[in-house]
Amino acid sequence: MSTSPTTPLLTVEDLRMHHPVGAGMMQRRTGVVKAVDGISFTIPTGRTLGLVGESGCGKTTTGHCIMRGYTPTAGRILFHDPNRGPLDICQADRRTLAYIRQKVQMVFQDPYSSLNPRMTVQEIVGEPLRVNQGLSGPALRARVEELLTVVGLHVSAMNRFPHAFSGGQRQRLVIARALSLRPALIVADEPVSALDVSIQAQTLNLLQDLQERYGLSYLFIAHDLSVVEHISDEVAVMYVGRIVEMGPTHQVFDTPRHPYTSALLSAVPRPNPSRTHQRIILQGEVPNPANPPSGCAFHPRCRHAEDRCRHEIPVLQATGDGHRVACHFADSLSLPGIGQV
Amino acid sequence: MSAHDASSLLSVEDLHVHFHTEQGTVQAVNGVSFTVGRGQTLGVLGESGCGKSVTGFSLLRLIRPPGRIERGRIVYHGLDTELDLVQEPSRSPLLRQVRGGEIAMIFQEPMTSLDPVYTAGNQVLEAINYHLDVSQAAAWDMAVTMLGKVGLPEPQRIMHTYPHQLSGGMRQRVMIAIALACHPQLLIADEPTTALDVTTEAQILELLQELQTDLQMAILFITHDLGVIAEMAQEVIVMYLGEIVERTDIESLFAEPLHPYTRALLESIPRLGTRDGKRLQAIEGVVPSPADIPLGCTFHPRCPDFMPGLCDVHAPTPQTLTDGRQVQCFLYDDQRPGVRNLQS
Repeated sequence: MSTSPTTPLLTVEDLRMHHPVGAGMMQRRTGVVKAVDGISFTIPTGRTLGLVGESGCGKTTTGHCIMRGYTPTAGRILFHDPNRGPLDICQADRRTLAYIRQKVQMVFQDPYSSLNPRMTVQEIVGEPLRVNQGLSGPALRARVEELLTVVGLHVSAMNRFPHAFSGGQRQRLVIARALSLRPALIVADEPVSALDVSIQAQTLNLLQDLQERYGLSYLFIAHDLSVVEHISDEVAVMYVGRIVEMGPTHQVFDTPRHPYTSALLSAVPRPNPSRTHQRIILQGEVPNPANPPSGCAFHPRCRHAEDRCRHEIPVLQATGDGHRVACHFADSLSLPGIGQV
Repeated sequence: MSAHDASSLLSVEDLHVHFHTEQGTVQAVNGVSFTVGRGQTLGVLGESGCGKSVTGFSLLRLIRPPGRIERGRIVYHGLDTELDLVQEPSRSPLLRQVRGGEIAMIFQEPMTSLDPVYTAGNQVLEAINYHLDVSQAAAWDMAVTMLGKVGLPEPQRIMHTYPHQLSGGMRQRVMIAIALACHPQLLIADEPTTALDVTTEAQILELLQELQTDLQMAILFITHDLGVIAEMAQEVIVMYLGEIVERTDIESLFAEPLHPYTRALLESIPRLGTRDGKRLQAIEGVVPSPADIPLGCTFHPRCPDFMPGLCDVHAPTPQTLTDGRQVQCFLYDDQRPGVRNLQS
């Protein structure tokens, strides 16, 4: 993978998604859940950004905001269209949004619940084409056949229903549907987590082939660090609604600068029984985003925390080696990366 | 396989579990034999549908119709006399004593395996009261001790909480406390960390290792995750479509996998720190439905070493190598003329 500068496809600037929380019979507003609290990143054309973090960190919410499934509380999400220039997804009117949603598609985690069991393959994969491009008859059929071939399914599958397919095949159908409108960006939310080990590899290979073939960009949301390392050019680590570390994948994994990233890497069970390492076991659990700790949200679990961490929220700052980290002590800490843990 | 040494706690011999459905008979477990040693961890590795969970459930006789244990023996050596769990009537007091008292089980999804209308304390107490003849006050103390032992903060308070008030990791700890309340000799852990976040998973795996040392219990650890099995198990059986295709110690599993399926599985996973930009070596095809098992060797339609005329016609038998490892593949069967032997 080359490192030549590329044009941005999607720019997220200070995105915030706060959900009000109600209580009591009248749903009196009692607080907010800051699911996403001021994150910024850029996805270049033809590249993959991996978004990692544990459940509740806001990674899925980020994906939904990009699809405008949620209307963000604040911030901008710019989709850089080659013909129409930058379009702000947060402010887009209905027509613009309909256009953007053709260019940005989504693949979900569970291929069992993301396909309508009462529709045939042709209807599922063809629906976006029918609705958005008005295709019908032989033209529609030909395009669906083409898409099925691209994702490695046999065209004889056209008239079958989802239940006739295995998990891996269903995920191929979901990918075929996502590809149907020739998108530029695919938001893939845990696309291989529900699949068997032997099927994960097939699906990851398919995603990489499609990227090469169509110049696709991916926002690859996942909790499995080895999968993210395999597929991502850049990676962003989220914790309680914020990005704590971001940069080229190899730098973040080899020389993490945030204690959370380092602990996360160390926690992954590794397929190597002879490995003798001192694993960093984090105490406690991910805090509730409705009531995050003061200062740095990670400080109650951080073994390097000092008084300053309890009061002052660290901002994401560039380090010398080209990645960015939100930690007050990023410069003084020497943390183990995947080589050492 | 009837002879066993004193160190074995449970031996399974030629276990067959079938599900008789309207669509036909599903042979979920098809002639599985293994032994769990006292205080040891035996890993069961396999993908969905390979029969690993059904095997676990069989050991507690928790197979419900249309499923049935068709034949085989599950001999428990933990009591004064040998006990074949398959032969025990399903409501026998002895079986009930073993189930939960001698052999306990924890599951993948801690939310669905705890009862939402009882407090965590009630559920631990239930296990203690059922199996041990102790006073209410003593049972309460034991439950609090157990909740503390599994690393829950303020166990007195946890006794009064309901499952929905606890996080996923804490629920899994409560479930472990219930399972271990009566100090079983064998714990069946069926994907206990699959639903958990990675930092919580690390905590639970460490907890299980600590408790194993502490309580001197054996663990049958069922998982699909090669990383988790490397951390937990000393010996591993690899299952594919209801059969054990390989039985090995944990080091050899990773250093020198024998069966083509095991080898393919190891090559197909992305590994941290090996960023070579290469494509993954995916296994071709999909796992066949257990209702429609291929003839001959069940792995042959996906096998890179497939030998036409042999693998698709004859079923391989388990071969024991000189170092004690076992593999069910013709590649290692030197009795069969014309078969090349990779070992030589």
